[in-house]
Amino acid sequence: MSSSHQLINNRKIATHESKAVTLVLITVALFYLLLFLGIPLFAVFYEALGKGWALYWAALQDPDAWSAIELTLIAAAIAVPANLVFGVAAAWAIAKFEFRGKSVLITLIDLPFAVSPVVSGLIYVLLFGAQGWFGPWLQEHDIKLIFAVPGIVLVTIFVTFPFIARELIPLMQAQGKEEEEAAISLGASGWQTFWRVTVPNIKWGLLYGVILCNARAMGEFGAVSVVSGHIRGMTNTIPLHVEILYNEYNFVAAFSVASLLALLALVTLLAKSIVEFKVMNNGSRLPHGETE
Amino acid sequence: MSITIQNLNKQFGNFTALNNINLEVNSGELLALLGPSGCGKTSLLRIIGGLDVQNSGKILFHGTDVEQRDARERNVGFVFQHYALFRHMTVFENVAFGLRVKPKKERHTETEIKRRVHELLQLVQLDWLADRYPAQLSGGQRQRIALARALAVEPQILLLDEPFGALDTKVRKELRRWLRRLHDELHITSVFVTHDQEEALEVADRIVVMNKGNIEQVGSPDDVYANPTSPFVYQFIGNVNLFHSRTHALWTQQPGDAVAYVRPHDIDISLIPQQSSLPAVVKQVRAIGSVVRLEAAIGQDGEVVEIELSRERFNITPVAVNDEIFIWPRQIKVFEA
Ligand SMILES: Nc1ncnc2c1ncn2[C@@H]1O[C@H](COP(=O)(O)OP(=O)(O)OP(=O)(O)O)[C@@H](O)[C@H]1O
Ligand SMILES: [Mg+2]
Repeated sequence: MSSSHQLINNRKIATHESKAVTLVLITVALFYLLLFLGIPLFAVFYEALGKGWALYWAALQDPDAWSAIELTLIAAAIAVPANLVFGVAAAWAIAKFEFRGKSVLITLIDLPFAVSPVVSGLIYVLLFGAQGWFGPWLQEHDIKLIFAVPGIVLVTIFVTFPFIARELIPLMQAQGKEEEEAAISLGASGWQTFWRVTVPNIKWGLLYGVILCNARAMGEFGAVSVVSGHIRGMTNTIPLHVEILYNEYNFVAAFSVASLLALLALVTLLAKSIVEFKVMNNGSRLPHGETE
Repeated sequence: MSITIQNLNKQFGNFTALNNINLEVNSGELLALLGPSGCGKTSLLRIIGGLDVQNSGKILFHGTDVEQRDARERNVGFVFQHYALFRHMTVFENVAFGLRVKPKKERHTETEIKRRVHELLQLVQLDWLADRYPAQLSGGQRQRIALARALAVEPQILLLDEPFGALDTKVRKELRRWLRRLHDELHITSVFVTHDQEEALEVADRIVVMNKGNIEQVGSPDDVYANPTSPFVYQFIGNVNLFHSRTHALWTQQPGDAVAYVRPHDIDISLIPQQSSLPAVVKQVRAIGSVVRLEAAIGQDGEVVEIELSRERFNITPVAVNDEIFIWPRQIKVFEA
């Protein structure tokens, strides 16, 4: 009797204590968020619009800004689909088959997360730059990768390739391969099985990965900066253009262009929340495990 | 369609999952693969279905080697241990799947597909669940949908991996009788895996008892139960008492090391000594339904023997705890130890 009484008492104390702790933790977390995320985000828009809409628009309509936007969109438009195909293929292989070197592949997929983006960029310069390993060969054939658009696309792919694969691997591993086996034994071809069984099961995880991959592809600075050469109107992406404007003390323009990236971040967050909400309501597994 | 398995071997690395399996499944029969966990039942079933590949040996369907045919071409219905229903499809679409993925030339019209699916859902008595998703079904319902889905492509062979493994006893019993009736209606050659001896004994035409990748015995349920050919089968199917020759040479009646196997219901009791009877002391008396189970201690070290008597038999010799009795076997099987 007395022990059960004690138990109840203990629990009361426990909840009482944890309430205060919870409150403190929430306050700290919110304050931290506000300080490091909320205020800077506000500052971006405040600075961008501080001198009025006219200047804001003018900054965005500058031809150099336009070409930066264009290049960013091109890089993302190539990198995201490429990594989509690669991510699905890699996750499929890792989750559904046993093969030699599987753990090596998993480690390799994580490489871009482990390596600093600047170093990633340098690797590409080392490989394809004028003094690089393949430099002479490329020059002979009149192919220019470094300090040109193709180099930017390449490093963007490199830096963002873990996102989709990483999102799908745990999801596909958890789902196992029984449904695919059932489909095959019912007479479906590999192609039919993929489209009718695998894809519907991973579609939310896939979308989630695409959103994150896209955000990073558009926002990447370090690696792109190394291989771009910063040629205005030619090899500048949005993040690089922002830096140039800022270094020229052109604050309004810098923040105006930066506000595009901030908007992208907000849209990404919104899309991510919608996907998460959908997944929860669908009752299927959450694509959890943020990779960064 | 008959299935012939010849000298089949399967290894996972150094581990031998199936060791030289030879087996004939007759056309139209319902065969049970019975054995303890990890003995290779699923492995064998998957190889028959083409979902796994053997290291050596042959599988013949109706006398034809099926090595060149993968799972897709074997026309085998497979019911998975955990159902493996397509979670994003309704029950209707699950059952229709096999019909929808057929090559264009062979594919039925939409009305025909609809008719077939509803026919199958009626067969498994779940037509009213057509619009639900798998997550909204009970275990027993999922099992039946999985079966309907497998039957949709009119397989000539049906493979079921522990079809009732995840269900509670009552539902299991219902479903296995239902499966038996269904099999009698459809006459598809069926192999089903189970580790539940009662299930195998009740449902199957023949039973294959497996142990550690080997086939121990093949026979009718009666045969396997009454005439086990190895100690393993004796112990695995039904309860059994063991009497070692060292302590009970009287019963083993064999020179050298031997063990006598006696079923609890093959032991009789009396209050006075009989020919070749052993003295024992009653330790427990339990009436369970139509039978009475006794536990009696024999010998110095108080080895416990299980005895099962019908109620009528018990009423003729009613005994109570601590009574001294004499026991003797009506039927006994001796194996060398
Ligand atoms: N893919 C695999 N890799 C390695 N070992 C495996 C693999 N599949 C099965 N095995 C091993 O082979 C043996 C037989 O497995 P199997 O699944 O056929 O057993 P089972 O009789 O179906 O058991 P259960 O009743 O528990 O389902 C087990 O010891 C298992 O560990
Ligand atoms: Mg199994």
